[in-house]
Amino acid sequence: MKDLPPVPKLGIGLLYQEQLLPFIESQRACFDFLEVIPDLLWADLGDHQSPRYIENSQGIDLLQQLRAELPIVLHSIGLSIGSAYRFDRQHLAQIARWHEWLKFPWHSDHLAFILAAHGAVEINAGVTLPLPYDQETLDLLAPRVAAIRARLPVPFLLENNVYFFQYAQQDFDEAIFLNRLCDISGCRLLLDLHNLYTNSRNHHSDAYSFLDKLNLDHVLEIHVAGGMEVGGFYQDAHSDTSPPAVWELLDRVLPDCRNLGGVTFELLGSWYGDVGEDRLAAQLCRMRELWLRHQPTAQTEAQW
Amino acid sequence: MSQQSFQATVARLVSDPDFRDRVQAQGEAALDSDLTPLERQRVLSIVADKGLAAARTLHKSFRLTKIYTMLPLTRALLGPDRLAREISAFWKASPCVSHYFLEESIAFCDFLQTRLGGGLRIKYLAEIVAYERANLELRRPRTGADAPAPQVVRFAHDPIPLLEQLLKGKRPRAIAARACILAGSLDQDGDVQWHISIDAA
Repeated sequence: MKDLPPVPKLGIGLLYQEQLLPFIESQRACFDFLEVIPDLLWADLGDHQSPRYIENSQGIDLLQQLRAELPIVLHSIGLSIGSAYRFDRQHLAQIARWHEWLKFPWHSDHLAFILAAHGAVEINAGVTLPLPYDQETLDLLAPRVAAIRARLPVPFLLENNVYFFQYAQQDFDEAIFLNRLCDISGCRLLLDLHNLYTNSRNHHSDAYSFLDKLNLDHVLEIHVAGGMEVGGFYQDAHSDTSPPAVWELLDRVLPDCRNLGGVTFELLGSWYGDVGEDRLAAQLCRMRELWLRHQPTAQTEAQW
Repeated sequence: MSQQSFQATVARLVSDPDFRDRVQAQGEAALDSDLTPLERQRVLSIVADKGLAAARTLHKSFRLTKIYTMLPLTRALLGPDRLAREISAFWKASPCVSHYFLEESIAFCDFLQTRLGGGLRIKYLAEIVAYERANLELRRPRTGADAPAPQVVRFAHDPIPLLEQLLKGKRPRAIAARACILAGSLDQDGDVQWHISIDAA
């Protein structure tokens, strides 16, 4: 499979949530692109239904308007690429259909499994459950990534996962596993620094040691976010602006991610009222300062 | 095959507290036979890990949010304790299968209607569940040419003060008996419109 060209350096991204629409319309200068969870703009009726996907026409209209003004990238939650019992080719085909009209420069999903099958019953865990960092998992993922890359002409990124428990006796540590996954499959990384922070805080691991081992050339996008402590665990809740440790991680990696296309802030729309317009704008403004300091070759919209 | 069984086991630990409790109590005896020794070791390690409770909390939040968001009137009528008991019973009977709020909320309405048919007696619940289910049915995603069928809900009590009080989050009080029919449909903008008429039946 041929190598893909570099992704455009889009700059600062914001995860689209319906509640953020007033901010998106009034504070356009704060961000350069939008990231969209496509699964929220269609209803997936299940793989035995025809049609399986029913698209939200109002959402599509809005995306088409926004697409005329700024780049959009897709960040899906529905593939469950690590599910051993099936590989969802219909989901892949749906993403490919969207690429035909949305022309996103890359797309991503989560390195995890959400769906599992117990007998005839499909279980939706509703959370991204961790995959063991084993050779067996690499063997499962590599042909699936190859199928995705063959179907879409743009890079496919997988996001490092949040995990609240770890598996014993894994073949690789997380960073080495991610390096190998990228090397053998050709996928690229969506490095979620808030996930990394969450894991290091909950499991008392060293985030900087992880970054030292990770091949940052594979990183095409970075996520930052904020969270909260619940029941003795820090949760990746996307409920606040980023804590200081995440800013420090961003400052550490930005100079070394030479293939980076953008840094995206994730905030759940239901928390927008608590965060407020000013703090959201300040978060994005600070991200831009770091971006301009460490990624000085940012392209304009016209160039991508 | 064991990879599939292992993932199903992990997903059940997160989503099914009865299964988790069985594994905690019985250890390996509660696990499927096709797991490898390493997978068994991992499962037993997870069961002893406090992180499992954190993952379980996230799973519950994921499912609760659907019902809290989509069925505010049923939520207000039942109150937190009764709602928690009914949701717990619903979850035991129905594993989570969908990302989507609407589908699971309709399934919860169906569960409550089955409970009502089986003898559950909570004043106004039959009317409110039917009303909220009909609202969801009208909003169910459809292809463009496929308009939803109008929905009809019979009320035995005056729906106007009943719905008003529940919309304010209050438990309804002193609602007069009034046999009437609410007919719901979508207008041209895709919004749900309800019309009231006397039930002559």
